Order: sequence, then C-alpha cells, then structure tokens
Amino acid sequence: MAYGTVNADVVQSSVSGVSLGAGNASIMKNRIINGAMVIDQRNAGGSVSNNSSVNVFSCDRWLLNGSVSSKYTAQQNAGSVTPPTGFSNYLGITSSSAYTVGSGEWFGLSQKIEGFNTADLGWGTANAKTVTLSFQVYSSLTGTFGGVFTNSAISYSYPFTYTISSANTWTTVFVTVVGPTSGTWLGTNNCSIQIIFGLGAGSTLSGTAGSWSANTYVSATGATSVVGTNGATFYITGVQLEVGSSATGFEYRQYGQELALCQRYYTQINYNINNYVGSGKAFSTTDVMGISVGLPVTMRAAPTGGYTTLANFRVLNSLNNANSSLNSLSYSGTQSTTTLSIYINLASAVTAAGSASTLDTGNGATAITASAEL
Amino acid sequence: MTITYQLLLDVERKVSETTIKRWPDGSTIPFDPDNTDYQAYLKWLEAGNTPLPADTGA
Repeated sequence: MAYGTVNADVVQSSVSGVSLGAGNASIMKNRIINGAMVIDQRNAGGSVSNNSSVNVFSCDRWLLNGSVSSKYTAQQNAGSVTPPTGFSNYLGITSSSAYTVGSGEWFGLSQKIEGFNTADLGWGTANAKTVTLSFQVYSSLTGTFGGVFTNSAISYSYPFTYTISSANTWTTVFVTVVGPTSGTWLGTNNCSIQIIFGLGAGSTLSGTAGSWSANTYVSATGATSVVGTNGATFYITGVQLEVGSSATGFEYRQYGQELALCQRYYTQINYNINNYVGSGKAFSTTDVMGISVGLPVTMRAAPTGGYTTLANFRVLNSLNNANSSLNSLSYSGTQSTTTLSIYINLASAVTAAGSASTLDTGNGATAITASAEL
Repeated sequence: MTITYQLLLDVERKVSETTIKRWPDGSTIPFDPDNTDYQAYLKWLEAGNTPLPADTGA
C-alpha cells in the first residue's frame, strides 16, 4: 500500500469480524451519488413526468427512463410517507395510468456512474470485483420486482430480482453481484455502470435474473410492472453500491459533500430578484458578451448551458442606465468545465458598442443551469 | 415534445463551430464529444435532420 492511501478492501479484511461501515462510516464507499435522495436542484421537491424525447431527472443523478412519455411521475417525498429509519427523504414514483408495456418498451429509474469512480472494480477483466447493491423500497404493489446492472451501451447486462412482500412497508433489499469478466466498462469520465430499477419492461428487454450476458436487458423476466397499475407507487431511498459480498451501513455524507458530488453533473446557480450576475462589454447596440459565470465544481465535461426564466434577466447599460430584456441568452466560444461564457442578444437597442453592460435579475428570480450528465 | 436545434452566430457573425442551440428549452450545447447532449445532437444529424438557420443576433 502506498503511503497516504487507504484500500478499503484491505482494511476490511484486516479487521476480523468487523464490517467496516457498519457504523455508517463515510469513506466514499458508496459509488451511488445522492442515494439518500437529499439533493433535488432541478425540481426543489416538485413533480416531473417521464419523457421519451428528453432526459428528465427527479432528485439529482436519478434519471427517469421511459419509451413512452407521461406514464409516471417522480417527486422527492411524493405521497409524504414516513421515510425509513435513518433517512429524511426518498424518491417517489407514481404511475399515471394502467399502461400495457409493449415487448420492446421499457420504463425505469436509473443512475449512470462515471468510469473514474468505478475503474478500481476491474469489471471486464479477470480481476472483476464483487459488489453489493442495497436500498430501501416501498410500494403499493407486492411481488417480484426487477432491475439490472448494465454498461454504458446497455449491451452487457445482469438482471436481478427482489421481493416486496408487504405493500406500503419499507423493505430493505440486498443484491450481490459477482463482477463481470467480459463486456466494455469505461474507466473514463464517461458512463461505466448503469443501475436501473425496472418500472415495467417488455419481454425482449427482460432477461433471466442472476447471470451476466451480452444482451440488452433493462430488467428481469417476470418483474412487476409499476406503470401497469394506475396510481401504483414505488418509493426508494438509501441506495448504495459498494465493493464486497455484503452490504454495510449506509454512507451518510455531509450535505455539502453530496451537493458537490451532484454538481459535477448538474449545477443550478439560483438568483433572487435584483441579483447581479456579471458585467460584460457591448460590441453592438444589442449584443453583449464577456460575462463569465464560474461553476462551483469542475464538471464532468463541458456543460450544456441553460436558464430557467429568460424573461427575468435584464441588461443595464453603464452610459445611460437604460435597460433591456433579453432576446436570447447563449453561451459562446469553446466552453470549459469550470466556467460559462454568456452571450446575450437584447430585445431593444440600449447599449453603445464598447460600453460596459451589466446582467442582472431585475425582472424576477431565475437561474443559470449547467448540465454535464452522463 | 419535439427537439430541434438551431445554429448560433459567434461574435464575428459567423456560424459558431463550437456550440449549437437546442429548442424548446433554449440550452446551448458545446461541441464536446463527452457531452451527452452533443452526442444526442450528432445522432439527430445522422438521422437526416438539419438545424434551423441562425438568428441574426446571438
């Protein structure tokens, strides 16, 4: 072992009879981010529907998958049930109809894990490590439910099942998986492993549980379809993926740590009304550039830049204090992983070329967003 | 929701070679091969689609 490093596996095996983490030790053992569903930057607790055309996220890092739009909603603490002991939040799925899933269709809740955070698992090699997934789940339905471990292309998959015996009761689930010695598992800043919790999958996308295969599976054969029952609920929290053949206590991270981990993939910089965003230079009467917004965390890749409410931004000209709303707000030049360079086109000509101009939120609260999701 | 893309102009009033606009959300996507929104844009192009022309402004 090199000086200054700690190998959790070695430490665990050297402490006979003691399961490292049983006391909820925090050593970054959990490869899942926001497994306790604490962070919800995008929706602030609001409800969102799945959409087949665009990626929709509920709590940070948790992607709503679905072949057909609007078949379920997702919301932090939907239904306001009491979370399981030790948790304050959960992600709640509610079926929007009684939809019969076609053979090639699927619905799921997933998290994609960055390769940098799983490269040590050695998946795809002879030294692939065993991992254990644990979570707490609560549903209005009972029966056998399914999910899958798969790679970025969903071309090498391990379906798994678990049982919910009592409706509307938190159930703890453990799934141990021997690491795959084949398949392509990226060790870069791109997606390596995807964990998908099936909410309904067609026969061609469902596989026999308990073995790896070079197939596109998103759930297990015979699993309950949540979207098949109108109003059915599926709540989940405490999701943890760790090295080893048994689950240890959930790793509680400090809020700031968890938020920072999420911000590598999505950042929302919120502004109240009359906040100053930045200053730039007008290079025509209607165009302003040079406003740079620093991102709080270095992002996984150059992010997609956006905003929440364009109409609430405003540009003020330093020469005459005139102001204008915006026609458009774009991000110019070669974007980096640490800053966004804003480029504004104004609705009316209020600037003079070369003058200083200030972007503020004089018309109301709004936000700048940056997304580098996997 | 139908996704479309629109060319952007850079500060020299040339079509940007580093970013593309996505509608209806108005996001700006960088031409970073690791950006999954950019990957989706490339698939959209491969499907035979063409982005909208740029506005005269930003």
